[in-house]
Amino acid sequence: MTRNIHFLIKTFYLINKKIINKKTFREIIIKGTLFVSAIFAIVVIFFIVFFLFKEGHPIFENIGLWSFLSGKEWNPSGVPPRYGAFPLILGSLLVTSGAMTISVPLGVGTAIFISEIAPPKIKTIIKSGVEILSGIPSVVYGFFGLTVLTDWLRVTFNRPSGECWLAGSILLGIMALPTIISVSEDALSSVPMEYKEASLSLGATKWQTISRVSVPSAISGIAAAIILGTGRAIGETMAVMMVTGNAAIIPKPITNVFSPIRTITGTLGIEMGEVAYGSTHYHALFGLALVLFVIIFIVNTTANVIIGKIKEKHMPTSKKKKRKRLSQKIVQGVRYSIYALLGLTLIWLLVVWFSIEISILIILIILCYYIITKKISAKSSQRVAFGLVTLSTIIVLFTLGTILYYIIANGIGAMSWEFLSQPPRDSGRAGGIYPAIIGTFYLVSGAILIALPIGVGAAVYLTEYTREGLPTKIIRTGVENLNGTPSIVFGLFGFAFLVLYLEMGISLLAGQITLALMILPTIIITTEESLKSVPQPMREASLALGATKWQTVRKVVLPPAMPGIITGTILSIGRAAGETAPIMFTAVVFSQRFLPASPLEPVMALPYHLFVLTTSVPGAEQNAYGTALVLLILVTCLYIIAIMIRYHHKKMVKW
Amino acid sequence: MEAKKKKMVFGATVGIVGVIVIAAMLGGWFKTVKTETITIRGSTTVLPIAQRAAEAYMEEHPDVDIRVSGGGSSVGIQSVGEGIVDIGMASRDLKDEEKIRYPNLKPIVIAKDGIAIIVHPDNPVTSLTLEQIRGIYNGTYTNWKEVGGADEDIVVINRDSASGTREFFWEHVLEKDDFVATALEKNSNGAVKQTVSQTPNAIGYVGLGYLDNSVKAVKIKKDGKGIEPTVENVLNDEYPISRSLYMITNGEPKGLAKDFIDFVLSEEGQRIVEKEGFVPIG
Repeated sequence: MTRNIHFLIKTFYLINKKIINKKTFREIIIKGTLFVSAIFAIVVIFFIVFFLFKEGHPIFENIGLWSFLSGKEWNPSGVPPRYGAFPLILGSLLVTSGAMTISVPLGVGTAIFISEIAPPKIKTIIKSGVEILSGIPSVVYGFFGLTVLTDWLRVTFNRPSGECWLAGSILLGIMALPTIISVSEDALSSVPMEYKEASLSLGATKWQTISRVSVPSAISGIAAAIILGTGRAIGETMAVMMVTGNAAIIPKPITNVFSPIRTITGTLGIEMGEVAYGSTHYHALFGLALVLFVIIFIVNTTANVIIGKIKEKHMPTSKKKKRKRLSQKIVQGVRYSIYALLGLTLIWLLVVWFSIEISILIILIILCYYIITKKISAKSSQRVAFGLVTLSTIIVLFTLGTILYYIIANGIGAMSWEFLSQPPRDSGRAGGIYPAIIGTFYLVSGAILIALPIGVGAAVYLTEYTREGLPTKIIRTGVENLNGTPSIVFGLFGFAFLVLYLEMGISLLAGQITLALMILPTIIITTEESLKSVPQPMREASLALGATKWQTVRKVVLPPAMPGIITGTILSIGRAAGETAPIMFTAVVFSQRFLPASPLEPVMALPYHLFVLTTSVPGAEQNAYGTALVLLILVTCLYIIAIMIRYHHKKMVKW
Repeated sequence: MEAKKKKMVFGATVGIVGVIVIAAMLGGWFKTVKTETITIRGSTTVLPIAQRAAEAYMEEHPDVDIRVSGGGSSVGIQSVGEGIVDIGMASRDLKDEEKIRYPNLKPIVIAKDGIAIIVHPDNPVTSLTLEQIRGIYNGTYTNWKEVGGADEDIVVINRDSASGTREFFWEHVLEKDDFVATALEKNSNGAVKQTVSQTPNAIGYVGLGYLDNSVKAVKIKKDGKGIEPTVENVLNDEYPISRSLYMITNGEPKGLAKDFIDFVLSEEGQRIVEKEGFVPIG
């Protein structure tokens, strides 16, 4: 970075001496602008971390870090208040790992189906369908979970209540699916045709090509997809608050998926309204947010290390460090013994957690898998694999269909011209939702207008203008961590900083900025991935022909990356339109008569309206469904526009 | 030339659409209607009253905008204390810390409310003593058969800690005992009602205004009599779990806020209170 400042000073000196010409000057200006957006993105990220830390550290001083983390009782309103975060931390980890177990296989499987197996027309339909799934607001998922899923679980498994860990994991798994599928599919589509053609021409079956060439080649994108999906799951507040029961206990026994459970985000969502600013409880909640941040950091770092190892194995041109012969042998020996130890621990855990019968079953399944992949002919194992992949796609589409059916069937009754053009009456039980529609539109557009330039600029700068080194790694870590930050933390930050400190009051602008900050990491990560998927030879060819850096970026690198960038935008639109927590404290009111006359006035918004109707206004079910349906339609329209733009760009890309 | 022309047309379309959209947005912003506005925020129990009253008031005063939001009693108190809103709604008394932190808050009673204990309509239990209710909520009783019901585990439904309803319940029914750790927490009256109506062995508590056919209200057994949670029983002080609902201002209410609160306290306002299922103040 200091190099850049140095460079800038030198440049101004040279310009004054008329040594540099106009073209290079423009290059420098552009590089500077991109640098500023990268810096802005980074500053914001670190600012929020700093803010979390500032608000959270008093609790650690108060009751000590260890007793906060390991305390088994969370009862802030008890006498005396107790702040033991262990059940909450465990809750978040358990629910998220359950969710990932569901969504990673289904998601990657569906992505493979879409990009490799599906015929082109079906491909567009399924991909659009999946993206619609990401537009369903978290409140709607929560409502669906509350009324349909928990009831189904209660009846099917004969439990006193269906609000439990399993319900949370299923719901979060479904919510993370669109992210994983879309980004993985983009990554798989960007694998150059030559790789696949080379593999097929060597006699490999299609599945062998997919599993040994396409997937490893796209592993960086798939890993990014999984990390984004995990971030989405671990940071989700509203839906998980509505279906997990929010009992701050440790499940007995630990594998009891039907036990009610509470996550960190559920705690933040359900208790933040209560705390007095500056009280011990307030600091405890921020301490929780900080703990969540650290957990996400650990998850991301581990994931990146694992991905790095996989990449090394597959890339012929990776930078392997030179190792000496003997120490290499020692390292290998250590590595193998660690693997053996891990394997033994896993088996021991299996036996302890599950009964003997189940662990034998699992080992048998693993053996079957081994036999199938090694002993059966390539063609048969291809049929099996294709069958599984198609099955996962069917499961995903079935889930989408159920939820859509549920919203449409119940919401269509509320639809009328009056509903769409009138303000609400009778606490929302009658009348319409017109101001909420306009409010959501304002919020989303504003958020995208702010986040897109900054995010794309930052990603372009990070990928194209800097070398891969420690500073970029730190920045990337910061971005990935911010991605996992719960939406409610953004809401709190917005409230404390924008609404109170900057005295913006509850306003449209505060909401737009908060939402922009929330979607910024998604845009940066997806843009970076799409830029990285442009093969290096293209850039080199352009530069070799005499183009400047910016010309290369604008005309060679950006166009093929546009589909990926637009995917990121689509995912962000869905997120921004459907989120309740970030706008709950910063921008919205439940009802107002006039549309905002300026960005400094509050707005109504569809997700918040839905939330209040669902939870606080009895007898408003019809309109609640209607609101959900309208929100869905609004987001779908925005998506269709974005998808058309992406399709237009994709046609122009030919490797 | 063909491709370039296509690009130009596409760009022009996007441009025109964009201009229209931006103009529509800006058009909304330049409307200079002189209006008076107040914002009201807080308890989800009081929300239906405030919302209805606001609608009725705005019908009589077309140039006025009253903005209503939920969030919980604590949110309402903090917001009005910090000056973010004009009126805060609360379904509990101010806590000591709040009285110290915001010394100028003026709570005004606008209605009374009973807290009804609800169970699933198929639950055979029809009445409970206060001691039994306390026992259920602090974990002493875990099975319905211990309080005269079927042999089933009790599913305890609680409110979140921002809730004035919960705070009141904790002070007056639990007598400041700890809630049982396995209680499920819900973040509004509506959510509690929804859960109890769906879960055969659940028990919960909601404001009177939220009672309907989807849940069964339990009578409170006192001195051998079972007292139903009704408006009359709250008015004549028979029903043991009743509380006041407040609208709070920072300092004496003035201007539109005062007008509105006076409206809520007027005959018309109190009729709205009754219609929403709450208890009008004498």
